[in-house]
Amino acid sequence: MKKAIVYLNQFFGQIGGEEKAGFEPEIREGQVGPAMQMAKTLHAEVTHTIICGDNCMGSNPEETCAKILAMLDGLEFDIFLAGPAFQAGRYTVACGLICKAVKEKFGVPVVTSMNVETPGVNMFRKDMYILKGANSAAKMRKDLSNMVTLANKLLDGVAIGPAEEEGCFPRGIRHQVWRKDGKPASERMIDMLLKKVNGLPFVTEMPIPKIDRVPIAPAIKDLKKAKIALLNTGGIVPVDNPDRIQSASATRWGRYSIEGADGLEGGVFKTVHAGFDPAAADADPDVITPIDALRALEKEGFYGALHNWFYTTVGTGTTESEAARMAREIVPYLKEDCVDAVIMVST
Amino acid sequence: MKLEIGNFHVRDIVFGDALSFRDGILTIQKEEALNFIRQDDRITEAELYIVKPGEEVRLCPVKEAIEPRVRPDGRGIFPGYTSKLLPAGEGKVHALKNCSVLVVGRHMGGFQDGLIDMAGPGQKMTIFGNLLNIVLVADTNEAFERFEQQKMNDALRRAGHKLAEFIAGCVKELEPEEVEVYEMGSVRGRDPETEKLPSVVYVMQPQSQMEALGYNDLLYGWDLNRFLPTYMNPNEILDGAVVSGSFMPCSSKWSTYDFQNTPNIKALYREHGKTLNFLGVIMSNLNVALEQKERAAQFVAQLAVSLGADAAVVAEEGYGNPDADFVACLVALEDAGVKTIGVTNESTGRDGRGQPLVTLDEKCDAIVSCGNVGELIELPPMKVVLGELEALGRDGNSGGWEHDEILGPSVRPDGSVIMENNGIFCGDQVAGWSPKQMMAF
Amino acid sequence: MVKEIERTGIPVVHMCNLIPVSKTVGANRMVPTISIPYPLGDPSTPKEDQWKLRYHRTKVAIQAIATDVQEQTVFSV
Repeated sequence: MKKAIVYLNQFFGQIGGEEKAGFEPEIREGQVGPAMQMAKTLHAEVTHTIICGDNCMGSNPEETCAKILAMLDGLEFDIFLAGPAFQAGRYTVACGLICKAVKEKFGVPVVTSMNVETPGVNMFRKDMYILKGANSAAKMRKDLSNMVTLANKLLDGVAIGPAEEEGCFPRGIRHQVWRKDGKPASERMIDMLLKKVNGLPFVTEMPIPKIDRVPIAPAIKDLKKAKIALLNTGGIVPVDNPDRIQSASATRWGRYSIEGADGLEGGVFKTVHAGFDPAAADADPDVITPIDALRALEKEGFYGALHNWFYTTVGTGTTESEAARMAREIVPYLKEDCVDAVIMVST
Repeated sequence: MKLEIGNFHVRDIVFGDALSFRDGILTIQKEEALNFIRQDDRITEAELYIVKPGEEVRLCPVKEAIEPRVRPDGRGIFPGYTSKLLPAGEGKVHALKNCSVLVVGRHMGGFQDGLIDMAGPGQKMTIFGNLLNIVLVADTNEAFERFEQQKMNDALRRAGHKLAEFIAGCVKELEPEEVEVYEMGSVRGRDPETEKLPSVVYVMQPQSQMEALGYNDLLYGWDLNRFLPTYMNPNEILDGAVVSGSFMPCSSKWSTYDFQNTPNIKALYREHGKTLNFLGVIMSNLNVALEQKERAAQFVAQLAVSLGADAAVVAEEGYGNPDADFVACLVALEDAGVKTIGVTNESTGRDGRGQPLVTLDEKCDAIVSCGNVGELIELPPMKVVLGELEALGRDGNSGGWEHDEILGPSVRPDGSVIMENNGIFCGDQVAGWSPKQMMAF
Repeated sequence: MVKEIERTGIPVVHMCNLIPVSKTVGANRMVPTISIPYPLGDPSTPKEDQWKLRYHRTKVAIQAIATDVQEQTVFSV
């Protein structure tokens, strides 16, 4: 039989109330409190229960997680369950922290449950399955049963459906689904249209996500000393495309030497980007990678120096996570050559 | 403007002695049809097949789909393209239903070509898996683009459009089993009950991003790249005014069959006079430069307001930078006080974590979302392949690849494939068929 | 990519045509280009004009990374 380990706070772990919130983590064989209820229907044996005070985790999360991970080392388990945490703010964060740490270290699925009004939801919903929990422990039975239902699917290798069907918070993942009722887009369009135009509530099929921002990097103080690198997503590569960069949905990138070059020539370089008419860039790659202009400005002393390589990938259909990975792979090359700033040309 | 589409329901298609339609059986005289196709001396090789739902057949690279139609009065079905330029949308046209003519490259594919499975898990991924299909598999002497990733596919596509009309010739003189009537007059002076209903325009953004001519969707034979938005009667769209192009990653494509049958337009017609007042179509396009996108959006909003639209639906044929046209158009309409909803697909990637559209705006609060172009799909081998399956990986088909460190090649030695939804022929069905919906996980 | 690089403290100037896309992906310094297929040189214009345009916009881009900004900024060309 598969094995499970459950995490509870001091209250549900039957240590005590607020006065025991500093309780240091402990691991106990067998099942305590809600873990006993879970064990009845879970498709796994609950071998251990971990109990930890909410303030202990809250005031010292890294050290507390490390202690718990050390307790788990060497134990066999197939799933890790935390909570349910209801509307207890600190408990939700504790469940999220420990689930994330366990998932990263041991690679097992993790499941928790919290109320929509708690901070844990937005902090951790992209990292794990968080069931939509009730606002009080009076609904313990229901929240536990929801956790067990999802956990059993994970244990049995059953595909997990859309968040709404499973009763989870969305994890920032969107996939296409064949609707069970087969209702075509044209009919959904009419429904939404009539509701919107008549001022009735409607549900969009594509909620607009919040845009993630990064802090603005400080400006270069002295251009005369600055080394600048050129990157592009327009697919400019040597004509034989040595890195086999894909024309769309790229997962590969390349860097090509421009040491001593005053520009790129058509016939030597070309674009492999499939999202636009390639004629102009094939004839004169500098219309995407302005190496001629960068070289001229370098010679005039407008800035310090051009980095000896330019970097290429293809932007069309390329996912954010792939693009981010490629950027992270490129950064060490830039750092190594002490590049101060980057010009990115996108098509 | 009154369009009467006379329907002939095809129950089966067979090859036989003479082209005919009797008791639901469409009979095609194969040699005669092939000789007709060979009249274009660019066609070097041609063969015809009949494929039916449930047969273990894979088609690749598929370039176009057309519903066979003919006009009893002798006018052509694609004015300005395969026939004389005349207004579409008025009068009678006869249509062979439940079937399509599919055009498949004998060898070479490209970015814009797709895949259809007639059985197995891939069958449901495009409407053509559930139609009776007359499949033209052919090659051409268009050497200039043989190894180009972007192909015009002009000879092959035209052959398909002409073949569709040729085959429908057998019902030219027959009485249709059923007649669909689409009638829309002036936007002024409609009956008072209809005038009280919320008025709606349907805004179409067909693919037109290739600056070189010959690749984009055509409107009465006119390349939509060289175009500014205009008002159209919806009947024109249903009656062959628009012919599909050869540019967009294939799951986003609207084939000519899709234009001829646009479910979104038919749905708006069904509601006309009952729950809403359908004003007609604003035909727009998709552009490459920001100013072009903004100019088109500005035109659309102006037309909608001038037509007195309370609401609008915007649908785009594409993803990626066309999303900027789509969002700009939705925002321009909302800013002009027109309550707007959108119909589109998304590109959230194989992991589903990507941003749905490349530009976003909180004014886009009502979207019907039909699919994820980046969805990873695995399909088992099929007994028969029409065309050349290698084209999926070799020729830069938008959903395939030659080599991948983790996934291996798209086309495996046993004939099974792994690919992105991108390469499923007309898979996202934004024209309105789509039973797919994007959901959060 | 722009974001991941800027996250490491290296300032990035994003030269692109679709400024709304660039804003959505979170670029902080942006310089508009003229189109998607040929951001920095319209092939229908003389070579000399293409060069002038490219030289000018590239110079604006370099100037942009030497300019402190407080919010997402589109530099005019």
